[in-house]
Amino acid sequence: MFQMDGDSSTTDASQLGITGEYMAGSHFVLAQAPEDEGDEGLNDHEDGNGSKDNLREQDIYLPIANVARIMKNAIPQTGKIAKDAKECVQECVSEFISFITSEASERCHQEKRKTINGEDILFAMSTLGFDMYVEPLKLYLQKFREAMKGEKGISGVTVTEGMGEELTEETFTNPLPAGIITADGQQQNVMVYTTSYQQIPGVQQLQFS
Amino acid sequence: MSGKNMEEKVEQATNSKNISLPVSRVRLIMKSSPDVSCINQDALFLTTKATELFVQHLALSSYKNGSGKETNTLSYSDLANVAEETETFQFLTDILPKKILARDYLKSLEEMEKDDENL
Repeated sequence: MFQMDGDSSTTDASQLGITGEYMAGSHFVLAQAPEDEGDEGLNDHEDGNGSKDNLREQDIYLPIANVARIMKNAIPQTGKIAKDAKECVQECVSEFISFITSEASERCHQEKRKTINGEDILFAMSTLGFDMYVEPLKLYLQKFREAMKGEKGISGVTVTEGMGEELTEETFTNPLPAGIITADGQQQNVMVYTTSYQQIPGVQQLQFS
Repeated sequence: MSGKNMEEKVEQATNSKNISLPVSRVRLIMKSSPDVSCINQDALFLTTKATELFVQHLALSSYKNGSGKETNTLSYSDLANVAEETETFQFLTDILPKKILARDYLKSLEEMEKDDENL
């Protein structure tokens, strides 16, 4: 699963700045030298860049401003964040994404599938000790889907829930392409959609005002 | 739906749905994993959102772990400590080595060399 090159501990000379970042008399030596991170990058399954073009896979991070903002909102308002902590979390984030993705990808392969889907991701999180994220994520996914449907150019759309008993079983079994409105004999126009891997309990309805 | 078109829609939706991370960048990182071919839209969204949760989780845990010692500041060593102490974050220990003072390291190097000579 997750493998690192053996010599990545702090006793590795190259990491403690012997390559030139050593600062005499300074409080800490930064255990970072970009050139040396080539061997212990974000993805440990391959040694080199393989087919990657200009950007080394180890260098792909999320923008630090976004990361810092999320951090700031998470800690108490009076708290501050050291600059190297922000940079560090940036790297941790890329590590996290790779961690989850590898696990999800592995499961995909085992099941002879080529596309990583949402369930693979959720399963990976559960396996890797992040099961506390799973339930909130499912909720977010639901809301996200509603937002996606809403932005298909239909104006005046509101979403209501709770009229599930009026629809038959059949409406859930056939996936309907988004954007098709079916009138099923009721007073409202109802748009029903099913997802590829999960049936959403209860009914999502769109009302046109 | 074409892939490119979908990503634009995803970006739009994420803007209105409180995601503060660039989905396309997340996708790039995911694709840099070996043997990853296709990532469906749900997977991409879930990963992006999970990453947000992860940042919050990591930041808060580290901050709580460290406060009292530091002056209200989340420092690198708080992160390194939490990675070592918390099982969930242990996958980070290799990229969060605890920094040691250079002179301590050099001292221990010397001692190791002395031990070797004495053998």
